[in-house]
This record gives sequence, C-alpha cells and structure tokens, in this order.
Amino acid sequence: MTGAADVLPGSFRDPAGFVFRRQGVLLRQVNEIHRRHFDLLTSSGLYDALTQASLLIPHEVVDDEPAAAGAYRVIRPQPVGFVSYPYEWCFSQLRDAALATLRIQSMALDHGMTLRDASAFNIQFDGGRPVLIDTLSFESLVEGRPWIAYRQFCQHFLAPLALMSYRDARLGLLLREHLDGVPLDLAAQLLPRGAKLRPPLLLHVFSHAKSQRKHAADEAPAVESGRASKFSMQAFRGLLDSLRAGIEGLSLPGGFSEWRNYYDEATHYSDRASNHKEELVDACIAEVSPEIVWDLGANVGRFSGLATARGIRTVAFDVDPACVDEAYRRAGSANETRLLPLVLDLANPSPAIGWANRERMTVAERGPADLVLALALVHHLAIGNNVPLESLAAFLAQIGRHVAIEFVPKEDEKVQRLLMNREDVFPAYSVEGFERSLSGHFDVLRKLPIDDSPRTLYLLRAR
Amino acid sequence: MRTRSKVLYAAVFCLAFSAVILPSANAYIDPGSGSMIFQAVVGGLLAVAIVLKTFWRRIVSFFRRGRTADET
Repeated sequence: MTGAADVLPGSFRDPAGFVFRRQGVLLRQVNEIHRRHFDLLTSSGLYDALTQASLLIPHEVVDDEPAAAGAYRVIRPQPVGFVSYPYEWCFSQLRDAALATLRIQSMALDHGMTLRDASAFNIQFDGGRPVLIDTLSFESLVEGRPWIAYRQFCQHFLAPLALMSYRDARLGLLLREHLDGVPLDLAAQLLPRGAKLRPPLLLHVFSHAKSQRKHAADEAPAVESGRASKFSMQAFRGLLDSLRAGIEGLSLPGGFSEWRNYYDEATHYSDRASNHKEELVDACIAEVSPEIVWDLGANVGRFSGLATARGIRTVAFDVDPACVDEAYRRAGSANETRLLPLVLDLANPSPAIGWANRERMTVAERGPADLVLALALVHHLAIGNNVPLESLAAFLAQIGRHVAIEFVPKEDEKVQRLLMNREDVFPAYSVEGFERSLSGHFDVLRKLPIDDSPRTLYLLRAR
Repeated sequence: MRTRSKVLYAAVFCLAFSAVILPSANAYIDPGSGSMIFQAVVGGLLAVAIVLKTFWRRIVSFFRRGRTADET
C-alpha cells in the first residue's frame, strides 16, 4: 500500500521505529537499527510464546511502503478495539497490566531477550485482558546488565498501585499528571510509614527513591567487555519475583465509594419501572445494532451488560473507581471479553496531554461510538454540575452517532435530592427545554416513557 | 520504622557494592543511574531471596504431597 502516511503523534520517542496510519490502516515501521532485535523476537520463539499466551499483540509483516527513511520492515499489528490510558484504569486493571508486564519480561529472559521499556502506555486491554502493543519493546539480553526499564516499571506500576492500595483509589489519576509514572520520591512521601513493613515496597519504592536521589548526578559505571558481570540472571529473576510479590501483596483499595451500592440501595425505581427501562434500552440497542457502545455513568455495568450480551464491544465509563473495579472483576470472572470498564469524570473527561498536547487523545478523539448510553445521567451533569442542556447535547452529538438518553424531570426524587440544599437556578430544565436543546443536534427516533416512573428514554440520531 | 529502614538500606549498601560494575546501557529511555546502581546493589540479596524461596516452596510442596497421600 502506498499513499500519505500520518505518524501517530505519541510515537516519536523510540528510534527503533514508530506507528503510522495510511488509508485508515495502522502500521508500524521497524527501523534498520532495530533489525537484530526484531529478528531475534521471532527466531528465539519469544513472539510465538507471547502471542500464544495473548500477552503480545500479533502482527503481520507486510510489504507496504515505509513512512520514512531507515526502514527495515513494515508490520501491521492487529488493531485494538478501544485505546485506553493507565489514568483511566482502576486498581485491578493497573495491577493486571503490571503482572502481565512482569510475565512478559520473565518470558523474554527465558528467550535471551529483555524489555527495554516498561511503560504502562504500552499495555492495552484487548478482549478484557492486558496485552503488550509495542512489538519493538524487546532487545537481546546483555548479560550482567540490570533491567533498563526498572525505574519505569516502578514509576508506572508499583508506585501508583501502592498509593491506590494504601491511600485512595483516586490516586491513580496521578498518572495523568505524571506521564512517565509517579516519581518515587513523591510516592515515598505520600505512602504511610506502614508501607515500609512490606519488603518489596521498602526496597523498590523507599530505598530505590533514596538511591535515585543519592546517585542523581552519577554515571552508572560501565563494564569492560569480557569481565565478570555483577547482575546475575538469578538476581534478575529475584528482582522480578520481588516486584511480583510486592504487587500481588497489595490489597484492593478500600474506603469511600459513593456509587458502588447504587442499585442495592435504589428506591427511585420500582421493579416494574426498572424492568421496563431495561426492555426499552435493549430495544434501542437492537434498533441501532452498533459495533461499539459507550455507556456513560455505567456504574458496575448493568446496562452495558445488555450490549455485551448481544456480542457488542462496550466501554463502560464511570467516575467511581470502586464501581469500575467491580465491573472489571465481574467481567473477568464471567469471562466477559467484550466489556472494558474505565474511570472517567464526564465533568472533566480525559484531555489531550503529553508533548504538544498531542501524545494522548481526548475521549472524544477516540470516538464517535455507534451508540452512547446516557442513563440516569442528565441531572447529574445539568444540575449537579450546572452544565447547560444545549452544551450537553452538543457534546453527546460529538461522541455518539446515536444516543439513548434518559431524561430525569425535576419532580423525580433524585433531582429533588440534588436541589435540596441549593437554589433552583435551572428554569430551562424541563422536558420542553430538554427537547429544544436536542433539536439543534439530533433527530429524535423514539420517545419512550418509562412505566411507573416520571422518566423518559429518548433514542437520538446525531445529524 | 525510620531507623529500621535506614539500617537496612545501609546494610544492603555495605554488603553489596565495593565496586559496582555494569555493562554500558544503550537505552533510549533514561534508565536512571540511581536505579541501575540500586539494582546492582540489591541484586545479590534478591538472588539469595529467590533461591531460598524456591527451596522453601519445594519443602512445603513435599510435605503437602505427603499429607495428601496420607489422606487418600
């Protein structure tokens, strides 16, 4: 294939190659300087071992024209359904990504190779499981050399996981501020002293941070060729085992969750209303027949389940990390491969960040979805966060080709509770005002009152 | 706690390092000199730890196997 190539803005750091898109197809250029390592990945058997274990994204070598000079090969990696970022993952997702990285590194050592980076951004969730997407992360092992990616692994995985486990699940958002992982000195300051009781944390976070400070200006001494090495394979295995034990020893974050017991404690829906709503949402999904659904404010994924039951890939966004964690663990135990739960605050969705604000995409840039579910959500944004209905409609039209949205009127008990302690400054918040706001952006395909409830479900098509 | 961690850190350093010699790293990311030196320093300790751990697991699994055999 020839034609114009768009290099992905986040793919510029590694001289070994880069990712580009040509005529909508995602390709990766492998540069000549990485030839030896790329060939070894296949000839050592590591590629087969990792792809069979679903730990590495499979690729095909293609004869497409390279996008720049210095190319050795062009490969076409199998595309991932939805690109997510570590700051959108819950604790269990980040933990599974960390354990997958350690397993990959361990298998690489078995094949005489090693990971040359351990960025959490190199992991994506595909089919519900963490998989390495950077085929160029491997290089041949230099015996006696410690793990080049050790610092990155500790910053991208161990430190944020320890903070989430010991302090609060919301600290996963530190990865949004620190794109190369949470600095270890910061983690050491924020962790409670009790964390030092765990030897892996004492070693890989606290003492590691001290060593970084102490040797910041030093050069790591190089060995002369042929001399006995200092970092044995046994030490390398010990390091990986200690990191694994440290991560496996971290318990799920406890603490505050506003939403986890939402359905158990719900009194605003009778069984009849609840069942009817489910029927209506299911009918909307059937009518649109989407390939991908985004469920906004998904809680633990009850309505996402209607889409996944139909075999549809579904991203379930929620602001509460505890809900996302529960949805992820439930999906794992039910072997549900089509669900991807993610942490997202709709009032402040994932922005474009990194170099030139182009390395990591906004949520909207990763869409539009074929169908967006916005159930029991409008009042939280329009009243809880004062978002004008017109602005809400414009945003939804940007991220979804179709939207199934539930309007919750003022007389509903949930809205009454939001207005309990504040002035009602929302004169436009009514069925009429809502429909007026939609009219500039959507065609209303269905207007479906929910039985035994003041709420109405709308199925919309973006113009 | 603080004293304990200081003692451990100092002990590990004293044990391991007289001359830390590492193959040169041609890394495209900065491996961090502190991180590379630290690994070399604690490497011996971690190597011993995994040997002991593997040994301990073998002992445990030996007795477990024995117990399962008795029970059946």
